[in-house]
Amino acid sequence: RARRQKPCSLRELELTVSELGLGYESDETVLLRYCSGKCTAHRHNYDITMEHMMRTGFKKKGRKDKVSNGPCCRPTAFENDFSFLDNKSRYHTIQNVSAKNCGCV
Amino acid sequence: SDSSLSKMSPCSEAGKPCNPCLDAAKACNLNETCKRLRSAYNSICSKATPPQPSLANQEPCSRKRCQKALRQFFERVPWELSYPLLFCSCPDQACAERRRRTIVPSCSHQERHKPSCLELRHICRSDALCRSRLADFHMNCQMTSHTVTSCPHDNYHGCLMSYVGLIGSDVTPNYSDSSPSNITISLWCTCRGTGSQERECDAFHRDFTHNTCLKNAIQSFGYGSEGGTLL
Repeated sequence: RARRQKPCSLRELELTVSELGLGYESDETVLLRYCSGKCTAHRHNYDITMEHMMRTGFKKKGRKDKVSNGPCCRPTAFENDFSFLDNKSRYHTIQNVSAKNCGCV
Repeated sequence: SDSSLSKMSPCSEAGKPCNPCLDAAKACNLNETCKRLRSAYNSICSKATPPQPSLANQEPCSRKRCQKALRQFFERVPWELSYPLLFCSCPDQACAERRRRTIVPSCSHQERHKPSCLELRHICRSDALCRSRLADFHMNCQMTSHTVTSCPHDNYHGCLMSYVGLIGSDVTPNYSDSSPSNITISLWCTCRGTGSQERECDAFHRDFTHNTCLKNAIQSFGYGSEGGTLL
């Protein structure tokens, strides 16, 4: 019944530079590419073990560590530098804002 | 993607403040090649050169690299994306200032020293590429009284192409101010103090500053009427 979520992939959204939350004020529109989706198909034995350790294993051994128990959908590469004119007519160049490739890592 | 279809006609998006130059930037940002090459020249042209105390009179940026990046932008990006950045029509000063800044004039157009226009022409003529681009401009944007548009063969696009060809050369023209409607194009030079050659100098510079053909071509492009007359 539950809607199956799509696997980890690159998505895109049109935003103004101001909406990026980086503190720049510019009405220029950019294409923001980001990573989203499930990584269930990419679980290693490591992830299965970590899930188990979080539930019982660590406590038994007297540890309180927290670990991620599954791969995350994250950018594995970013797009090139991007430059724009702000609303005060100054140019800025920003890096590593938009994802180029995604992976379960 | 709804607005990118109508980017040619100014003030198309109802409800939003009208800024066709901003629409042009959006269309460019949504195209990989245009975005990459625009970002390339913008970051080169607005990057200050590292301070070198030994050179007291240094330029604020790497002018040669900036001009090369500008030439690459206009050579490799389809005119449908690059021209609207440069020739957008503007309802207000903010828009016109954005238009004026398209080529990062502080680096590509202005210089600390303002040479005489004849000196500038001489420098241009001693470079093969610049010489041919300037000849193109004079041929295609030469005012004529034989045509309705005052352009040779009523060919606006030919004039705009030759104008764009000069960007990134030693005679890089630009808007002289941020007036939205009263368009004045000029070179970074003066004819003051050219003595006996002043008339020749003025005549050369007036081909930019008082060129009805060029002005009509720019205005016509901005108002999106290029479809009928251009191709």
